[in-house]
Amino acid sequence: MTRPKSPRSRSKRRKTRGSRPWLGWAVKLGLVGLVVFAGFAVYLDAVVQEKFSGKRWTVPAKVYARPLELFVGEKLSKSDFLKELDALGYRRENSVSGPGAVSVNGNSINLYSRGFQFYESAEPSQKVNVRFSGDYVAGLSQVGGGKLSVARLEPLLIGGLYPAHQEDRVLVKLDQVPPTLIQTLVAVEDRDFFEHHGVSPKSIARAVWVNASSGALRQGGSTLTQQLVKNFYLTNERSLTRKATEAMMALLLELHYDKNEILEAYFNEVFLGQDGNRAIHGFGLASQYFFSQPIAELKLDQMALLVGMVKGPTYYNPRRHPERATVRRNLILDMLAEQGVVSVEEATAAKARPLGVTSKGSMANSSFPAFLDLVKRQLREDYKEADLTEEGLRIFTSFDPIMQIKAEESLTGTLKRLSGRKGVDQVEAGMVVTNPETGEVQALIGSRQRGYAGFNRALDAVRPIGSLVKPAVYLTALERPSEYTLTTMMEDKAFSVKGQDGQVWSPQNYDRKSHGRIYLYQGLVNSYNLSTAKLGLQVGVPNVLKTLQRLGMQREWPAYPSMLLGAGSLSPMEVADMYSTLANGGFNTPLRGIRSVLTAEGEPLKRYPYKIQQRFDPGAIYLLQNAMQRVMREGTGRSVYNQLPRSLNLAGKTGTSNDSRDSWFAGFGQDLLAVVWLGRDDNGPTPLTGATGALQVWTSFMAKADPLPLDMPQPDNVVQAWVDPKTGQGSDSSCPGAVQMPYIRGSEPVAGSACGIQAPVDSVMDWVRGWIE
Amino acid sequence: MTKWLIPAFTASLVLAGCSSVPRGSIPVVDSGTSASANRMDNVKVYGSSNGQQGSQAQAQAQAIPEDSGVVVMVPGGVGGSMPLDTSSAPISSQPIQSEPIQMNSTQGDNTPSTSSAPSISSSTQSAGGLAADEQLDGPVLALLTTAQQQQAGGDLNGAASSLERAQRIAPREPQVLYNLAQVRLAQGDAAQAEQFARRGLSYASGRPALQASLWDLIAQSRQMQGDAAGAAQARERAKVNL
Repeated sequence: MTRPKSPRSRSKRRKTRGSRPWLGWAVKLGLVGLVVFAGFAVYLDAVVQEKFSGKRWTVPAKVYARPLELFVGEKLSKSDFLKELDALGYRRENSVSGPGAVSVNGNSINLYSRGFQFYESAEPSQKVNVRFSGDYVAGLSQVGGGKLSVARLEPLLIGGLYPAHQEDRVLVKLDQVPPTLIQTLVAVEDRDFFEHHGVSPKSIARAVWVNASSGALRQGGSTLTQQLVKNFYLTNERSLTRKATEAMMALLLELHYDKNEILEAYFNEVFLGQDGNRAIHGFGLASQYFFSQPIAELKLDQMALLVGMVKGPTYYNPRRHPERATVRRNLILDMLAEQGVVSVEEATAAKARPLGVTSKGSMANSSFPAFLDLVKRQLREDYKEADLTEEGLRIFTSFDPIMQIKAEESLTGTLKRLSGRKGVDQVEAGMVVTNPETGEVQALIGSRQRGYAGFNRALDAVRPIGSLVKPAVYLTALERPSEYTLTTMMEDKAFSVKGQDGQVWSPQNYDRKSHGRIYLYQGLVNSYNLSTAKLGLQVGVPNVLKTLQRLGMQREWPAYPSMLLGAGSLSPMEVADMYSTLANGGFNTPLRGIRSVLTAEGEPLKRYPYKIQQRFDPGAIYLLQNAMQRVMREGTGRSVYNQLPRSLNLAGKTGTSNDSRDSWFAGFGQDLLAVVWLGRDDNGPTPLTGATGALQVWTSFMAKADPLPLDMPQPDNVVQAWVDPKTGQGSDSSCPGAVQMPYIRGSEPVAGSACGIQAPVDSVMDWVRGWIE
Repeated sequence: MTKWLIPAFTASLVLAGCSSVPRGSIPVVDSGTSASANRMDNVKVYGSSNGQQGSQAQAQAQAIPEDSGVVVMVPGGVGGSMPLDTSSAPISSQPIQSEPIQMNSTQGDNTPSTSSAPSISSSTQSAGGLAADEQLDGPVLALLTTAQQQQAGGDLNGAASSLERAQRIAPREPQVLYNLAQVRLAQGDAAQAEQFARRGLSYASGRPALQASLWDLIAQSRQMQGDAAGAAQARERAKVNL
């Protein structure tokens, strides 16, 4: 519409310069031209107002990690705490001056938190003192004030849900923008901004002068208003017509809106960088993206850098081209000193500072696509795509960046250590980390390659789970205390059965041997296939399937005997779901990644509440946990204590599918559960069993994450009894080799008589033993 | 170019004058960073419950309407402990016992600790003020208090959210699970209320009064779910345990 009209009006005007007889015509033509032109102006005016008065931008939903809670007695190491503060962009200062500052003095840390609106309440911005002792928080108080019961940091922003055009921004209001930043922008981009009416003949003249005298295109004459119009309404086309339309729209914009509104729009619109597919718009997001800080906390050198980047966000990208960016920043600082915006001393000091952008690979500058994928999937069940990508929703998740980094490091480190083995370089990985006590997902790995945003193996690699299925077989048995206890004698020997499908099934042990008469629990501890399969057939395959479903498994598996040894396939996430029921005393919790959703304005929108359902008798779970702890102490998982202290009670199970195509480990402490899967995408064989592969990653992770030892309270229906290690008969604590085992009350063996001298002598015996050793 | 602009400007000036929006009435989308100070209106309320222990009682006494029946006990407060009445759940027709908080102080040996932290965590549990059963950590007590204020103010979602926060800090504290069950019951989710009460029971061994309260909650939940027989059974257990 713009193009056909403007040349016409121009041609008419040329004609009006003709001789007098034409004057009447000229006036008429001029009038027609003016009317046409006025029509165009009206049209432009409508365009300008329409877009500027409505919702100017759509804002993608923002996804936040869990806020770090602080309270006395919390298990948190100082170094993890400082890592989190770094990721949140806290500045190290000698004495905290304002929000976003931290000062470290040995084990005592002062910080000035920023405050944040959460679902249930607002966290105030306050000066907090945190004291550490070992890996615990030993003290928490307000600086210069009293004790604090609990405080939280702001949550780390871990990503957003972007629409198709993938523009991202953090909207800011002008009163949040530091005055110096406004001055800097105006000084550099449009000195006469507060005087002109949208276009500035003065700055055009200056630009012409500068460009002419330097012989190069150094300075543009566009005002901030024109730049905004260009970005906001127009294409990138370079033509005189567009330039004219731009100028006219700039004038119209200035006519309707005041300088502050235009400036605010500029601060939010300007393009400042590209992050993959995501376009970084506005100073609010740029401040987050480059410095991990809110705009209000920017210092002079940071402001100068951002303002300098307006001219060429790609060319002056401080991460890609730090030298160029530094030169540009310093040029801006000189300019500011020249114009008297800052003093020469201030400019000099700012010039001496490093660029200070967060480095790639740091917690602040990492992406966690696997977890975000989980969040998106859960959100899509409740929201329309447009709500997620346009409404600026705030999504609060349970993601724990500290755990995620530890999980990633464990995986990378272990695969590197194992890389000598042939075939390990082809192995891919999936990992799920949850807190079984809350049912929350804390970390997720979808690939061995950090930050890989493709196939999410934690959720989508559905693979045979091997021996991970065995706890379900034993749980089914232990739920029948009149028939089975942990010390029921079992026969581990070869057998064959004819399945419903007519095929003969002859399971084999991993070492292709039979182990004879064993206790029931030893079948699980050593992952014997023969005795486990036998037990599964005794209790009934359909019943084991029912147990699996009660644990949280949602697939329909055919009731073939091979299922008893893990022919069925699950994703790491599904395994985590099942195992968290085992870890959480028999209470099933649907795993959650999202806690709550707030609107862009901070209003509560939706909560994803904690839900539990008791699925098993706590007594049976207690016995199973006991056996699973023995897996770690004396069974297939025992290598874990080569690296971890024996005081750390852990329970778990290895899993290996045929030809080591899948290497699994699933296990837990009191407050931490992790499932690791290693295998090839093409399902080829690997050199890794559950114990030599996945367990190694798991162990390394537990060593870093340092969970609480597993400590399920003994249920009322459980008693402890001493048994003879060989016969399974009741024994006494005084007998050599006697082991203590838990039983459901009434199923324990009759207590044996004491061996040798009576109980009080025990201590004497210990004393003697002490002498001998 | 500028020449062309002069008529343009005049024309637009004339025309726009008629259609212009009065300044100041332009809606601005407000979704700035959440940390901005201007959205912290209710900071004060929270701050008071979170602040210095000594002044906590007064601040809370002011914040809570008199008729809500919620009184907050403060560990280490000046005048020793005051009872924390948890009977603010309006659903049940039966009187809810306030035992879960007012405990006899005879069991000192079997108190499940809410965190495995070393003795430093007990620094807030000061001498004499708190019944022995209630080894609530500072943070848990603060969050329970916040939750009860929210519940009293009718903000059940906020209360549940605060309690889940407490549950993350002290997942094995049956008091938290008890309160969570109570809020769920007030929200009409009797099934979840029963589940939380049952979970609470698994951590409440050696705390008979609390067990009784949990059984009582189970009875109410079952009643609400139409399970009269189950409710009666639970009510029996509530008595037996006392």
